[in-house]
Amino acid sequence: MKKLLLLLSVLVMVMGFSLAVHASPEEDRLVFRKFYEKRFPNVATEDFINGAYSIDKAGRENWEAIEEFPPYEPFMERGREMWEKPFANGKGYKECFPDGPGVAHKYPHWDKKQQMVMTLPLAINQCREANGEKALKYKKGSINDILSYMAFESRGQITNVVVPKNDSSALDAYEQGKKFYYTRRGQLNFSCAHCHLQNAGMNLRAEMLGPALGHTTHWPTYRSKWGTVGTLHRRFTGCNKQVRAKPFKAQGEEYRNLEYFLTYMSNGLPLNGPGARK
Amino acid sequence: MLIKYKLGILLLMIAFASGQVLAADQGKAAAKPQAAEKKAVAEDPRAAAANKIILAADAARKKAGSVGGEWRDTGKMLKKAKAAVKSGAYDKAIKLAEKAGRQGELGYTQATSQQKLQLPSYVTVLYVNK
Ligand code: HEC
Repeated sequence: MKKLLLLLSVLVMVMGFSLAVHASPEEDRLVFRKFYEKRFPNVATEDFINGAYSIDKAGRENWEAIEEFPPYEPFMERGREMWEKPFANGKGYKECFPDGPGVAHKYPHWDKKQQMVMTLPLAINQCREANGEKALKYKKGSINDILSYMAFESRGQITNVVVPKNDSSALDAYEQGKKFYYTRRGQLNFSCAHCHLQNAGMNLRAEMLGPALGHTTHWPTYRSKWGTVGTLHRRFTGCNKQVRAKPFKAQGEEYRNLEYFLTYMSNGLPLNGPGARK
Repeated sequence: MLIKYKLGILLLMIAFASGQVLAADQGKAAAKPQAAEKKAVAEDPRAAAANKIILAADAARKKAGSVGGEWRDTGKMLKKAKAAVKSGAYDKAIKLAEKAGRQGELGYTQATSQQKLQLPSYVTVLYVNK
């Protein structure tokens, strides 16, 4: 009897693994959501877009006070100016983004022509370079201004990442991102999931580990620790360094694929950038 | 607290798993001297010894990087080791380089041992109970 039970549980485990590996992005997303809904049954799913503040009461009060005088506002203002001001060749962002600045929900997406994941920061720089302007840096600096403005204009739009079924490279990119998320790294041997799934709700030094559902809805984000607004890939860099892994290049393939996967996990959630965090 | 405890176990596991790789690879890597560092070596034989270990460690670091497994501080350690050679602190240089070399090996093993995606059980159960 005992042996049978053991065998059964091993079978279940093995099935679990194989099922998970062959799961579709949509199955992954439902599981991701279910994980947090089970762990934090009292949090409304939409509130996860507020990160750790969806589960950290004390932190939330502090944050709500900060949001009354949003620290990212000056960045948005400068971003608006960037948006309006033509490049040296007379053209501008408006020509590259004909649907207007509120298009953050269209990123990241699979770019069939370039056969890669296209993110908003990358699209901004491709626009600049196509018009003879210098590319902006991807972690700090004025890319955060234009991103803040575009994020604000995109508030309320719904995350809706698509992995096209007719292009296996798109699914590959998604799978790479997923693999990245569950891979242990660095001297501390932690994966993203160790902190943001397994230990969500626990304290790490002075911070509460937040749920990863909603992690992508509010970029760029003003971080008190940074004293400025920074990009999502800057955050990835920081989280890699925390486990003493060498970070990857911002907007390199690894982080873009990671963003593709992670944003897909938040499909259905509204955008609320720019954000403010500790 | 829990995190610290788990960490300890995981580190032990990695250290154990890579012990053999370490022993096997160190000899290999150390055996290739490279021209670039020769001029710095010159007089002191201990400098030559340290530089040899530094080169091997740097190769191990790059090998880890080639599979996305480089650790954060390995490169910094090697920079410090090189500086130590310059200032004549050979023992310190060797210690640092040996540590960096171990990190390179561990990072490589860590990455290659996870070539296949393995979801943690707290996630897989949710697929099963769908
Ligand atoms: C050692 C634990 C740890 C690991 C591993 C870790 N993070 Fe984090 N992460 C944190 C902490 C602490 C914060 C700040 C509190 C919070 O929001 O969870 C954070 C914040 C974030 C945020 C910002 C959340 C917000 O609401 O603005 C993102 C995005 C993020 N992490 C992504 C990742 C990704 C992707 C990985 C894997 C590459 C990762 N993290 C690995 C600890 C970790």
